[in-house]
Amino acid sequence: MNLTATPLSWNSCLSGLRLDRWMMGELAADDAGTVGTHVSGCAACSAAVAGMRGVREEVRALALPASLLPTPPRTRRPAAAIVAAGLALAAGVVLTLRPDRLVERRKGPPRALSMYVQHLGEVRRARPGESVAPGDAIRFAVSTPAPAFVAVLSLDPAGRAWVYFPEGARAAQVGAGSEVPLPLGTRLDSTTGEEQILGLFCSAPVELEPIRLALQQQRGALVLPPSCQGLRWSFVKR
Amino acid sequence: MPVILDPSAIAALYRSHGHVVLRRARTLLGSEADAREALQEIFAALVRNPDAVRSAGSIVGWLYQATTHHCLNHLRKARTGARVLELHRPALPEIGGPRGEAAAEVRRLLALLPDEVAAAVVYHHLDGMTHAEVAELLGCSRRQVGYLLERAQGLWDRAEKTA
Repeated sequence: MNLTATPLSWNSCLSGLRLDRWMMGELAADDAGTVGTHVSGCAACSAAVAGMRGVREEVRALALPASLLPTPPRTRRPAAAIVAAGLALAAGVVLTLRPDRLVERRKGPPRALSMYVQHLGEVRRARPGESVAPGDAIRFAVSTPAPAFVAVLSLDPAGRAWVYFPEGARAAQVGAGSEVPLPLGTRLDSTTGEEQILGLFCSAPVELEPIRLALQQQRGALVLPPSCQGLRWSFVKR
Repeated sequence: MPVILDPSAIAALYRSHGHVVLRRARTLLGSEADAREALQEIFAALVRNPDAVRSAGSIVGWLYQATTHHCLNHLRKARTGARVLELHRPALPEIGGPRGEAAAEVRRLLALLPDEVAAAVVYHHLDGMTHAEVAELLGCSRRQVGYLLERAQGLWDRAEKTA
């Protein structure tokens, strides 16, 4: 079979891409004029455009998929949880926050740590407990309602602690914003098992080496400097 | 100008540009159910990672790339699944007549081609793009597009002989 003459081959003079861009207003004015003139005088291209318009009307008539429906407003955190969180912070204990449940009541985006994974060329947003593979590339993003000094540390399955971000010795300042990507990405090594991640949000540029050592030695019982808050989650390398 | 995509903007994009995905997915997959699933999955992926389209120069171009990638993956998975099920599946009459059979053959052969070669075939032969348009979407030179298409025809001929 010749590739130019399959039952799926395109039959119009102008490509589908060019006609779609023309319909969606992506072409420059003079180019759009040229395409418009051609389509109005070409039976094959005007039939293609009519087909495209038909499918557009079909999609407009479809119900929006669940993933695109507006999410209901978040419920307020119960007062008891706020008190517990306040006590924990006062004691300098690392909180294990679940971003989908706990929302800070202040202006701007709540503090959050998110992770993106690139696996075989595809990028996806990871969830806590995500399964990843050796060789995947990961990159972190943070949300914070105010500028903060940020660091991302990890405790690997072998019990070794690492600093993913920043490269320097102290936590690096990140501006306020939602899902601000951190400038460093990492490719995962071949160690498999659960890796714990600790995101630090501090009001001062704290030294990271003492925290890394404490994370390695004390693990779950880690006490953070008073100027820092921690967000923890994990992923599993298989 | 950067594209700002919050969830409501992505819902609006689904309404305005979803047909670009659905039409091509129908052609590539030959199944209405699979094409609708492709439409939903591509926009759901955009909700999870709006940066993907933010960094693209053209929304239509990005939707072409995402649809092609999704559909070629789907065809490859279907091929693997068919191989697994082959032993247990009773012989069924082909549907769609000779033209339907030939279209199914094109999809089967597309699943055999390497990623970039298959994408070049889809863009050039199934979307009617010029070498320059294919080069833009693949991020390569026009000469490379010519090479990919030559390679595709060679692989295609060989696969047909061994089928």
